Amino acid sequence: MAGGVAGSMLPSVEPEATLSRPSSPNRVRIIDATLACLALHGTSKTTVDDIARRAGVSRATVYRVFPGGRDEVLGAVVDTEMARLFSALGVRLGEAGDLTEALVGGIVEASTRVRGHAALAYLVEHEPEMVLGHLAFDESDRLLATASRFTAPFLARWMSPMEAGRVAEWATRIVLSYAIAPSSEMDLTQPAQTAHLVETFVLPGIRALHAADSPTAIDITPFEQGCDQPDRHAVRGAAGGRPTTPPAAHHRLSEYSNPVEQYKGATT
Amino acid sequence: MADTRQRVLEATYACVARWGLAKTSVEDAAREAKVSRATVYRVFPGGREELISAVVAWATLEFFIRLYEQVQGATSLEQVMERGIMFAHRSIVEDEVLQRVMQTEPEKLLPTLTFESIRIRQGIAEFLVPYLEQRGVAQGVNLKEAADFLARMVLSYMSAPGRWDLDDPDQVAQLVRAELLAGVVAGPGQDAGPDR
Repeated sequence: MAGGVAGSMLPSVEPEATLSRPSSPNRVRIIDATLACLALHGTSKTTVDDIARRAGVSRATVYRVFPGGRDEVLGAVVDTEMARLFSALGVRLGEAGDLTEALVGGIVEASTRVRGHAALAYLVEHEPEMVLGHLAFDESDRLLATASRFTAPFLARWMSPMEAGRVAEWATRIVLSYAIAPSSEMDLTQPAQTAHLVETFVLPGIRALHAADSPTAIDITPFEQGCDQPDRHAVRGAAGGRPTTPPAAHHRLSEYSNPVEQYKGATT
Repeated sequence: MADTRQRVLEATYACVARWGLAKTSVEDAAREAKVSRATVYRVFPGGREELISAVVAWATLEFFIRLYEQVQGATSLEQVMERGIMFAHRSIVEDEVLQRVMQTEPEKLLPTLTFESIRIRQGIAEFLVPYLEQRGVAQGVNLKEAADFLARMVLSYMSAPGRWDLDDPDQVAQLVRAELLAGVVAGPGQDAGPDR
């Protein structure tokens, strides 16, 4: 998508970068007001005036916080919503006691947030071109890379960084597929149905992938219990702000960063 | 009528390849097909918009006919999925018209293509059912559910390979045999192994 509003709907920065930006109350107010406007009128009919009125601030304030005006606000909305999604995912994944819980919890959390997103629902219905551009071909690859880069370190508690990358990507594909084309038989916002899908198709695949790479069967329980448990408070504390990589995964991040960086280089 | 329709669609595709979706008009398609504007409107009463949707649907179907021919000779579920994913991935990467339209006017293509992808998914799932029956599904696996899940994953990988190199037969074999089929099928396959 070239330029304009469509271009600004792309998450322009990595979620990590967005999250470290200090968010002033006005910034959050304007973003939430914009979300409300988008849920009612979409992008084409939402003006800076609408946003200012709903946020209860002046037009001048909107431009002071977002000098680029409407397009910059829309870009910030996408970044913020991505950050909020990843933050919630971080909490779910950080709290998970085993791999099954992490996969089921992560898939349900992401699916529920996507399904319940009023602004996204409006856009899919009335301005599908704004959303679909991120879900096809190269852009879909970019989204898969971003999402799996964030979630893989959490899964690396139970498998090698390489495997965690693949599994994180696979889970993202599953969420996207059922979000784009919902199934009448498989509702991934329902934990029981998601658990069925994960146990039937995903866990055997993870074990087989592991067996294909190494002779020992994959251990589904967290290894190095204790020292490897992430600091849950750190993760939980991030709910409203900055999701942190579980500290436990840090010692493996150096191994992990290699294929990821290569991939990043190939997609940007 | 069927002949005219086919001729107009082929001509429209040629125009899209040259000028893109937005700049292709009913006049262009008529001129290219060597028919009158009235003829185009008789086949596509909705005019330009209907013509454009129809050409995306038509090109998608053509792609699937080629994909179908490609996997025809496969003798096992593993082989059909491996050949299918590799061929589809290559075709998408090498499809200059698709790549250019995706670069310049994805907003014109994607709503129709996304709609078409639902039909495609059903088509892939139905195609996989007899292979799954022949191969035998693992205990507790519902055949229809497995076919739908595999079709979703095939579509996902063929359009966005992610971390996998889908030009490498070994990686594709690993993706299909380990990741995608481990939970679906009963026991290891009896086929000759991945294509080399």
